[in-house]
Amino acid sequence: MTDGPLIVQSDKTLLLEVDHPRAGEARRAIAPFAELERAPEHMHTYRLTPLGLWNARAAGHDAEQVVDTLIEFSRYPVPHALLVDVAETMSRYGRLQLASDPVHGLVLTATDRAVLAEVLKSKRTAGLVGARLDDLTVVVHPSERGHLKQVLVKLGWPAEDLAGYVDGEKHPIELSPTVPGRAPGEPSRPWEMRPYQEHAVDGFWHGGSGVVVLPCGAGKTIVGAGAMAKSGTTTLILVTNTVSARQWRDELVRRTSLTEEEIGEYSGARKEIKPVTIATYQVLTTKRKGVYTHLELLDARDWGLVVYDEVHLLPAPIFRMTADLQARRRLGLTATLVREDGREDEVFSLIGPKRYDAPWKDIEAQGYIAPADCVEVRLTLPESERMVYATAEPEDKYRLAASATGKKRVVEQIVAQHPDDQILVIGQYLDQLQELSDHLDAPLITGATTVRERQRLFEAFRSGEISRLVVSKVANFSIDLPEASVAIQVSGSFGSRQEEAQRLGRVMRPKQDGRTAHFYAVVARDTVDQDFAAHRQRFLAEQGYAYRIVDAEDLDAAEAA
Amino acid sequence: MATTLRDPAPAAPTRHFADDLRERSDEALVALLRARPDLATPSPSTLRSLAARASSRTSTERALARTDALTLQVLEAVLALSPARAVPEHRGAPPGAHAARPPAAVRVTPAVVARALGVSEDDASLFGEAVAHALESALLWDADPGAPLRATGVGHEPDLRTAPGLDEVLGPYPAGLGPDTETAATRALDAPGSQAGVPPLDEVPAGARAVLDALAWGPPVGVLPAPGSRARDAVDRLVRQGYLVRSDARHVMLPRAVGLALRGGHTHREPAARPPRPQGRSVARTTVDAESATAALEIVRRIAVLLATWTDAPAPLLRAGGLGVRDLRRVAAAMETDEASAAFVLELASTAGLVADDGEAPPSYVPTVSGVEWLDGALPGPDDAERWAVLVRAWAASRRTPWQIGTRDERGALRATLAPDLNRPWVPRLRAQVLEVLATAPDADGAAISLTTSAVSDVLAWSTPRAVPPERAVDGLLMEAAWLGVTGAGALSTAGRALLDEIGTSATAGADPAPEPRGAADRSAAERGAGARGTADPVVAALRAALPPEVEEVLLQGDLTGIVPGRPSRELARLLSRAADSESRGAATTVRFTAESVTRSLDHGTTADDLLAELARRSPVPLPQPLEYLVRDTARRHGAVRIGSAGSYLRAAEPTVLAGLENDPTLAHLGLVRLAPTVLAAAADAVELHEALRARGLVSALESPGGQVLDLRRARPGRAVPAPRSALVVGGRVAAAVSSAPDYAALVASLRAADVATRDTDNTASRARAEARDAARAAAGALLRDDTPEPAPAPAAGTPTPSAEAEPAEASQHPEPRYHLTDLGVHQGPQVSPGSGSTSARSGSAGSPPGFGDPSAGRGGAPTAAAGVGHDVTDAPDGEGTQHPADALAILRDAIRDGAHVWVELVGRTGSPERRRLRPLRLDGGRLRAVDPARDAELTVAVHRIAGVDPDRPGTPA
Repeated sequence: MTDGPLIVQSDKTLLLEVDHPRAGEARRAIAPFAELERAPEHMHTYRLTPLGLWNARAAGHDAEQVVDTLIEFSRYPVPHALLVDVAETMSRYGRLQLASDPVHGLVLTATDRAVLAEVLKSKRTAGLVGARLDDLTVVVHPSERGHLKQVLVKLGWPAEDLAGYVDGEKHPIELSPTVPGRAPGEPSRPWEMRPYQEHAVDGFWHGGSGVVVLPCGAGKTIVGAGAMAKSGTTTLILVTNTVSARQWRDELVRRTSLTEEEIGEYSGARKEIKPVTIATYQVLTTKRKGVYTHLELLDARDWGLVVYDEVHLLPAPIFRMTADLQARRRLGLTATLVREDGREDEVFSLIGPKRYDAPWKDIEAQGYIAPADCVEVRLTLPESERMVYATAEPEDKYRLAASATGKKRVVEQIVAQHPDDQILVIGQYLDQLQELSDHLDAPLITGATTVRERQRLFEAFRSGEISRLVVSKVANFSIDLPEASVAIQVSGSFGSRQEEAQRLGRVMRPKQDGRTAHFYAVVARDTVDQDFAAHRQRFLAEQGYAYRIVDAEDLDAAEAA
Repeated sequence: MATTLRDPAPAAPTRHFADDLRERSDEALVALLRARPDLATPSPSTLRSLAARASSRTSTERALARTDALTLQVLEAVLALSPARAVPEHRGAPPGAHAARPPAAVRVTPAVVARALGVSEDDASLFGEAVAHALESALLWDADPGAPLRATGVGHEPDLRTAPGLDEVLGPYPAGLGPDTETAATRALDAPGSQAGVPPLDEVPAGARAVLDALAWGPPVGVLPAPGSRARDAVDRLVRQGYLVRSDARHVMLPRAVGLALRGGHTHREPAARPPRPQGRSVARTTVDAESATAALEIVRRIAVLLATWTDAPAPLLRAGGLGVRDLRRVAAAMETDEASAAFVLELASTAGLVADDGEAPPSYVPTVSGVEWLDGALPGPDDAERWAVLVRAWAASRRTPWQIGTRDERGALRATLAPDLNRPWVPRLRAQVLEVLATAPDADGAAISLTTSAVSDVLAWSTPRAVPPERAVDGLLMEAAWLGVTGAGALSTAGRALLDEIGTSATAGADPAPEPRGAADRSAAERGAGARGTADPVVAALRAALPPEVEEVLLQGDLTGIVPGRPSRELARLLSRAADSESRGAATTVRFTAESVTRSLDHGTTADDLLAELARRSPVPLPQPLEYLVRDTARRHGAVRIGSAGSYLRAAEPTVLAGLENDPTLAHLGLVRLAPTVLAAAADAVELHEALRARGLVSALESPGGQVLDLRRARPGRAVPAPRSALVVGGRVAAAVSSAPDYAALVASLRAADVATRDTDNTASRARAEARDAARAAAGALLRDDTPEPAPAPAAGTPTPSAEAEPAEASQHPEPRYHLTDLGVHQGPQVSPGSGSTSARSGSAGSPPGFGDPSAGRGGAPTAAAGVGHDVTDAPDGEGTQHPADALAILRDAIRDGAHVWVELVGRTGSPERRRLRPLRLDGGRLRAVDPARDAELTVAVHRIAGVDPDRPGTPA
């Protein structure tokens, strides 16, 4: 029995004691195969999942290595059944391989006859595979490559995709050595990728396809740019919305050899197809008369690389389309693999295994994202509102609690405490936001705001022209507002964990003066608002962001302290 | 004719099985009774009776069921090598008409058997033990007439014979060898070249040789090929040469001698000298013990959860006994486990006497007093290891079969958890055997071997090939052992080994352990715990050594979780189980604090400050702010709505009306409490309150829940008194008689005395006995049926009545008209053809091997098993007026073997007895074939018509 930093539980969680002298070593050792579930201050929890273990296999780790690592760092004897299970699970990956056969094209080969027989017997593979060549090989219809992979993961026999990729149309892309200043006339300054970004690009390129997990504000766009430079081919970038598309374009122009003319936008407003095309999920999933009208985009060029921004939000139809894109390299970018709909396995099978992951706190410690102070402000509702709340229909309760009038005053107080900061007020309900906007005399951006107006306001905010902005959920993602250092959340999409993370991400770009970012969540006490807030905070709490809880009445005192 | 049947060896003044027993020393007889305890219950009165019983089919079957593969091979080999039995086809022919082998050639010495089996030098001692064991348990006996003189002499080579009756049980083709028929070929084999026209075996043409090879390893019976085919020609030639024998129109058989020759003189392909070496994964000892400790803690926790759950909400019994599926699911959910393991936990708790039926109406399961003590006895209560020892000892003696839960019985009814019909008497023995297999699994330097069910089953199949335990039971027992932590990672743990050492000797000796009374386990454990806390209880000590050290700290974190990096101490565990929800268990415990869990703690009377102080004391890091906030916030809301109970209330429109009532000393007995200015609550009920207020001058009225005024007379509520629940009921079953080792020595002494007395009895006495019996029978209406109650079997004092395959209660509690000898026919089993002889014994419990059947199956429809067992249990004492059926059979068998005559008392169709001198030929399938020399005719009688048999001693009157 060693005195290791790790406690291995039979329910497949690993507890890592952070303050242990060998904690860092242990963390590096288990990172490839265990998924970080919670990272509070003393004990981090990792979990062993089949997907995680297969990810590790895909990255070239074998079961023996995993088992040795667990035994080496474990404080107590490792449960035997767990070790057996790890070995068993890992051995399932790669028993089936998708490969290119010079004669028959795409084939599924097995190293184990029984496995192939089991898989082929399943109803789900019917129609996806063709003729059986011999005991160990079966022809796969090239168009079903993705579907087959999806099905195989579901059957518990994930296939290793060795069939390779089409090269795609060549289009030279290079990272520029300097980045121009933002303001006109500002001199260019040299830049290079941060070490973790380079690791991420290398990890992705080595693996072929897959997902890179980085915190908000850690420069996922640059990882995308790096991957494009490595690929040197035409690229299709899928993003969540138009604003995000424009930011991608701007960033690519600044950081790479690409010019504005080489980058096309394919959105509701414009339909350009250029060597590098940025399309929104929305336009791709638009249906007219029951058919997806913009699917031809996917075949418009011989794309050598497809980048998915915010993989955790990929809508179901995109998954289906992606299933047909298996011959192309795919890069997924996200801050969190947590999906509220639990489709992590589809991300695994269709985009690819996780290729790079870094805990938020680590990157914060390296100074690449701003440290953040999270505060939950609890507001006691006045008697009258409590009466209304107590008698309201269940479906109205959250709305009532979330848009409690008292929140206005709380926001006001918080704003008053941060006179020098750029402040974002984020909320869910438009009437509430409208009121706040009027009250604070701050501009409001909602889904109804035109793209041009949004860009104008964001630009003004970036430049410091305006210091307060009230935004709806349109600003949840991919909006680069580096100077925002205070975010006040007044309401949210019920208990969405990833939304909370995204919103925190708004204030986490490193500040020039290195100041701490503040994130306030204002919740009404003793209501469902409080319960949802607790659920939303779980992801961040697990990432090591501890929320302080402050009573609204004590706000002044707390800040003074 | 080329084939003749070999003749029985000329009965050298024959020595019988009974003689062999008689000549055994007292020690040997004691050893026999120890090896086959069923022979001693009820006590036989004479040695002949003992011999008869030892050769009865039931007893032989039972003895064989416990015989290992090597011993079984020895028995088969001896049977195959022994001189032929008298064969009925050979009817009427005088003994010795055909050339018989010289007696010297047929001596079946151990060396001969060893050679036939091909026992290697290494295994010689094992073989010797097997022979000795078979002799000791009277499955073999020494037919050497000189034996008594030299019995103890060094170098005496016994002439082995199988016990009478064994040939029937082992079937007509022992070891797959055909009949011992003498033919030209067999003679040629004995003396090469002596028989013209018979080629030596090596020179048999290839086609014919293939036929022989096909039959060589049995079964030795082949179907004749179609006439005219080449194969038929070959077979016909072989028959002519005497290599095959026509058994009937369609079949040929391979004579035994030819079979042996084809086998190279061996009776078996290879000797099964050792159990198969079980293959398994090798697991480090430390891993095994760690796994076992984890499992042990988990089972203790689950039992604790069960007791806590049933303390709060006792579970109702089903009408047929047992626990309903819904309640099982509920308990399983509380334990966070699946139903199968939850069912085991329930069974275990019940076996250990921690929960029991409270005997109320309707009955429920509740924790017993010992259960409550086990759960949280006064400090210092039992620690985890001691609690575990209580459980594991109860398990060791348990006869329950929880793996059958959820399956259906033969009536299609679902077997419920804790149902009374899940008891099987063979469970403790099988459990000990399974653990023994695990214990003897090879142990490669420091690593234990983890065995699978099939590996264990293979070994068990070797040790009892005639009664292979069902895989499901083995699997169930292994699963239980894993749940309990008796095994870890599939290998026996140190603590498990300590347990086996404790139970091993009694259970493996073969005796069914006496039924363990409910609650006995915890009683004895309590005794142990009281006197010997901390001292050497090896089971407790072994587990304690394996348990991880206790931890007193909990790391509290900002996300409202807490982690105990090890095994929490009892106090810490109690604190956390109240104040937090468990999220993950194992080497460490992760808990999460939620509003509900904190509320739970507050409900137990803790205050927020107490709880925070307690947590702070146990946390090496400062209390995180969110946790502190949670506790305070919950405490603030806790009790915002208060609930109390009141017998009635009192409301008024005006506060003034109620003024002073609650302080009035004359109304103090009503227990008035002011809830609001115009509302008082009273402890007294409405009518009493009403009357008291009227008496004081207040004009009160009774109202209904809707507010209408009620009529007093109709409103008087019936006063239902809640039935007091005696929550804690001790397992109240009557404990079975405490067993003590039966006094076999005394029994042997009395047998010996009776034997001497019998031998002194002269023939006159024998005749007198027969006549007395006739007279008695005539008096009883010439019927065999004897309705008068049999004198109760008189077992020796202190001898327990072990349950056989069915509960003895079956026979003794429901007295029925007893048939003296008429049950013989049933006992012999249904008529079977010679070919299926060996399977007839199993017909009692269809499909399952003997010994592992469902007793209820036997109870239901198959009279064979029930009657067979009943015969054993309701053994009538030998003596005047009766003769034990088995005795009669034994005498008949001896007579068949020796070709001797006997006096048989037959009962005719009218019930009139008739005494005839017969020479029995064959006893099979419930029928006796015999020759009546006086009338020179053969007759066949059903065995149940035989009322008695006496050996034909010179001078016995006709």
